[in-house]
Formats: sequence, C-alpha cells, structure tokens
Amino acid sequence: MDLTFNESESAFRDELRAWIKANHPGDEPAGEDEGYAFRRDWQRQLYEAGWAAVHWPSEFGGRDATLVEAAIFNEELARARAPFPANVLGLLLAGPTLMIWGTDEQKQRYLDPIMSGDEIWCQGFSEPEAGSDLASLKSKAVRDGDDWLITGQKVWTSGAQYSKWCMFVARTDFDAPKHKGLTYFILDMEQEGVEIRPLRQITGDPEFNELFLENARVPNANVLGGEGNGWTVALTTLMNERAGLAFGLQVGMTVALDELTEELAASGKLDDPMIADELGALRIKCEILRLTAYRGLTATMKYGQPGPEGSLTKWMWSQGNQELMQFATKALGPQALTGSSTWGRAMLRSRGNSIEGGTTEVLKNIIAERVLGLPRKK
Amino acid sequence: MNFDFTEDQHEIKRTARELLAKRSGIEQIREAAEGEAYDESLFTELRELGWTGIAIDEQYGGAGLGVVELMILSEELGYALAASPFLPNALGGLMIAHAGSDEQREKWLPGIASGEATATVAFASDGTAEVVPDADGAAVIVLIDGEDATLIARDDAQVEPLATIDPTRRYARVTASGGEPLPGDVAGALARAEVALSAEMVGIAQRTQEMGIEYAKERKQFDTPIGAFQAISHRCAQMLFDTEGARSATYFGGWAADADESQLAFAAAIAKAAASEAALSVTASSIQVHGGIGFTWEADVHWFFKRAQLDAAMLGGTGKQRARVTQLTAASLATAGGA
Repeated sequence: MDLTFNESESAFRDELRAWIKANHPGDEPAGEDEGYAFRRDWQRQLYEAGWAAVHWPSEFGGRDATLVEAAIFNEELARARAPFPANVLGLLLAGPTLMIWGTDEQKQRYLDPIMSGDEIWCQGFSEPEAGSDLASLKSKAVRDGDDWLITGQKVWTSGAQYSKWCMFVARTDFDAPKHKGLTYFILDMEQEGVEIRPLRQITGDPEFNELFLENARVPNANVLGGEGNGWTVALTTLMNERAGLAFGLQVGMTVALDELTEELAASGKLDDPMIADELGALRIKCEILRLTAYRGLTATMKYGQPGPEGSLTKWMWSQGNQELMQFATKALGPQALTGSSTWGRAMLRSRGNSIEGGTTEVLKNIIAERVLGLPRKK
Repeated sequence: MNFDFTEDQHEIKRTARELLAKRSGIEQIREAAEGEAYDESLFTELRELGWTGIAIDEQYGGAGLGVVELMILSEELGYALAASPFLPNALGGLMIAHAGSDEQREKWLPGIASGEATATVAFASDGTAEVVPDADGAAVIVLIDGEDATLIARDDAQVEPLATIDPTRRYARVTASGGEPLPGDVAGALARAEVALSAEMVGIAQRTQEMGIEYAKERKQFDTPIGAFQAISHRCAQMLFDTEGARSATYFGGWAADADESQLAFAAAIAKAAASEAALSVTASSIQVHGGIGFTWEADVHWFFKRAQLDAAMLGGTGKQRARVTQLTAASLATAGGA
C-alpha cells in the first residue's frame, strides 16, 4: 500500500496545478448562455495547452494519462474551483465510445473537434417510456436509400441546444428481442427534423432538454458499431459515464463540505455538539468515498477491472451529497433557503443525484445480481 | 497511489484465512461460546506461528512488521470470530510499544510478543474500567483515562470477571490505584489500537454479509429464492456498501499508522467510526435476512452480532470519533485558511 502519489504522479499534479494557477479563468458568469460560452472558452484554453483530454491515448491527441493521473486532473480542477470543460459528455462518453467502436474515418472526423470544443456532443438515450429500462426505447429509424430517417422522443438531453452531435440510440429492428434491435447513431443536431424544448427542473433551471425528432436524417456512414449492435455500444458509453465522473464529483463534495465547515465555524455553530456530530458523520462518508474511489482505481490498474467496491462509488456520492446539502440548509438556518444563498439551490439540485446516471435502485439491482451473485429480481 | 497489499501481505491473509477455516469453524466458535472458555490450543498455535508478535520489534522477540500486517490478521480473526485473547493482547502491545518507556517495553513486550504474558487495554475513569476484554488472563493492563495512560500489573489490580451479552470473549471489571504512567505518545498508540480493532469489525461485517447472502440464495419462499426479492437483495447490497466503506477507511488507517503519522489521528477516527457502524448494521441486517431462524440460538449469526456490540463500544464509541473528525478538519481548514 502506498496512498501517496509516486514521482511521476506528483510531477503531473504539480505541472497541472501550476498551469491552472496561471490560467484560471475566474468565476463563471451568471446566465446560462454566458456560463456555457465561458466553459467553452476554458475548454479551448485546455485544448491548446494539451490538457483537454488527458485520459485519451496520445494517438488521438490525449496524454496517455494513467487512471490515477486522470483522477488527479479532476481533483485539481475541482480543488481550484475551475470550471469543467463545456464538452464534458464528448470528452468522457462520446470520445471513448468512438475509440472503441468507430471506424478510422469516424475517429479522424470526430475526435479532434470533441477535444477542442468546436463540436459539442449530447446524449440521446433516455425516453419518456424508457428510463431505467433503457432497452425498451421506442425511437425508430428506417432506411431511406443511403440514409436513415429517425422519429421519436428523447428526454434529459443536457446541452442539446449547444450541441452539434448527439449519441443517439434508436430501434432499427422491431421484430428482434428488445436488446438486439437497437442501433447507435451519430446524429447531426443542426437539421429541421430535430426540435429542442428546454425541460425546467425543480431548481427552476432548464439544465436538460427534451428532443423531438420527426424524420431526422442520418447517413448510414454515421452508424457507430454496426446495425443492430446499439445496446452493446451504449453500454460502453454508460460504463464510461459511471467511471469517469466519480473523481470530480467526490472532490466537489469535499469542497462543499469544507465551505460548510468554514461557514459553521465562523458562525459559532460548530460548538453545538449535535452539529459537530452530524458534520463528522458527513466528513467520514466523504472520505470513504474518496478512499473507495482510489481502491477501485488500484484494482482496475492491477486486475483490469474494479473489485466489488467499484460499483459503490456513484451510490456513495449521491447519498452523501444529498445528506450534505440537506444538512447544510438545516444547520445554517432558514437564510440558507433564501435567494441570497447558494445552498438552497444546491440542495434542490442534489435530489437529482440519486436518479441521474442510473438510479440508486437500479445500482442496487446491478450490485445484487452481478457482484453478490443473487438470483435475478422478481 | 496503490491501495493493494504487497505479495507478502496477501500471503499472510491467505494463510490466516486457510488456517482459521480449519481451526475456527462455526462448531469451534459455538463450543467456545457455550463453554465460555477459549480454545487454548488455537491460541498456542497462533503464538507458535508468531502472530502475537507480528507488529512488535524484533529486539523484543516480535516479527517487526507493521500495523498493516496486524490489521490483516485482525480482520481474518474477526472473520473467523476466533476464540482467543489475540486482539486485546495486540492492542495492549501497541500501547506499550508506542507510548511506553524503554524499561516498560523491555519488561512487557517479550511476553506480549510470545503470548506467554498477555496484555489488554481499556478506557477507565478514576481507576475503574467497567468492561475490559481478557483482563483476567492478562499479565498487564493498560488503562486510558483522557489523555493519560497507566500501566498496571494484573496482580496489582482488582479484576472481577463479568458476564456480558458476548460469550465469545471474556470480560472483566478492573479497579486499580497507582500504576505507572506511559510517558510516550498515548494518542498515537491509541490510534493504532483503534485501527487494529476496526479491522476485527471489518472481518465480522464481511463474514455476516456472506452468511446473509448465502442464506438469501438458498432459502425459498413463494417458490423463489428470497434473494430475488428486491427487499432482500437491496438489503444485501447495503451490507456490501457498509462493509466496503469500512474496509476503505480501516486500510487507510493501517497505512497512515505505518507510513504517514500526520494523517493517523484523522484516519483512525474515521476507521473506528466506519467499522463500528458497519459491524452493527451488517450483523443486524444479516439476522433480518435470515428471518425467524436468524433470531434463534441455532443460527450462528448472533455470535457475530454480539461481538460487534462489544467491539463497537470498545475504546470509545462513534460519537467520540465523529466529534474528533470535525475538530480535526475544522482545525486543519483554519490553518490552511490562515496560511
């Protein structure tokens, strides 16, 4: 066991830290479009300095970063309170999926603009009738010469209004079993058949969208991973979703907990033993999340896959973050729920944590069946 | 960054698992608990293997390994719920090794390392410790009162054997006046003891998790293995969640004890709190998964539940650890902010 960074990991961290310090763009401006433009500029800056996709192989413009270095990248960004790059879904999901399933032409065409942020990507998986049961999705694609025509509806598409491309899963064979009849498309968002409607969430913000497609056109060359193979390709995307985000989220929680601790200390509330007790319990959960995430990395690097702990981090984070935000608003008092505080909105946003990227209930099913070997659910 | 054990450490773990599977099966646990007596031959075997001295310096007859190796053994002994005074002796050894004077070390560590003259440790108030594990058979008792620790020879203390809800271990009430103070780093020694104790609870949680899952696969109701029902399977997933979280925290504590003293106080507090909560929740949950049979004397999960109750209360409960975690982080944030 060595829970310190080795020489090359430390060098990577120091170089990155110095670069962020010299190039930190400051606070994100208010307003959704302004914020997005700001994060797009930031990604351009990262790209030009070679930091945009550290975890990608160098043949595609990345840095060949190890899993630990990729974790350090997310930790350092969060610790410096620097923004995450605008094209986060492109970098974490679309890029790695293209590298595994894409043709040479597709890799050549799409990867670089993902990294530079010139072309933003969104994810068209969930539908109103297909949430946890994703494979039951109904969007349908039919052949029309060299093209496909897609009709259907998607939901929870964050960043759709800024996106050039969408990772889109549609049904191409209605006679096949539900997991077999799907195909994964690279859909051009800039066309008439695609309508985007903002979806307002409980915070009042439209962070997500609904997509309505009416005979949207996709050339056959934009099928990713072959016709009928959409479920397998989508699983690649989903695995990257759960693995890639964990470190940034974990540090985000640490940063929020540090801020809360400082606010409570400043107001003298830490002297209340009930508050100190709950805050301690939260800190323990937060540390356990960090340590468990690193254990998962060690197992992945050594044995090629995470051990049983690897399936737990998303659940640990969502539960811990929700408890943290609820506790913050409770401990700080009703002023935390007013417009002058950021805690109320953060607390509202945290309710989505146990739903987005796989509900906690579905994660428990996966753990029970695949990790613990329990019989399939009734 | 590497969270894995070395090959030697893996070997210790494998050896311990294999040996204890043979020597401390459920029948032996039951026999020792119902007879309220330890398996003397088991402890002799552990002594002869050198386990008792694993984390004690070679100059005192130990193996000179670290808290990580002791933690590995402690986890396996908890997994096997071994009927022996191993853990209290090891905890007492850590106190004397890290907070004792040279003279105290020379006097007591050889006996602790060989297991021939064992130690124990407990929290006390005004010379009285209400519940001390294995005090009656010990040669030396360390009593911790606040920030101070005192060493008392067994013969100078009043030791009254005590019945507790945990028949898998012997306990006693200890009263003593005087004794010698331990002059060294009591807090650092105690933190190491907390890590070793946490490891026993991780082993207990791991074992009862496995017992619950095994039962959920076999037991059928409504013509279905009960593990197929989400009410049961999600409870099993929660057991994994609790156990693995406690394991992450405890291994961090073991590493800090051997490699980074500056993080030890924080790591030990987290380990003890997480392992206590996991041992309590997982053993209770495993009883629930077993249903009616889980509440009977015949289902062996209760032995683990009972040990977990006493372990979690040992060396200060979760409330104390949480308060310490908050205090340590607030102090470190204030320092970072002021710098």
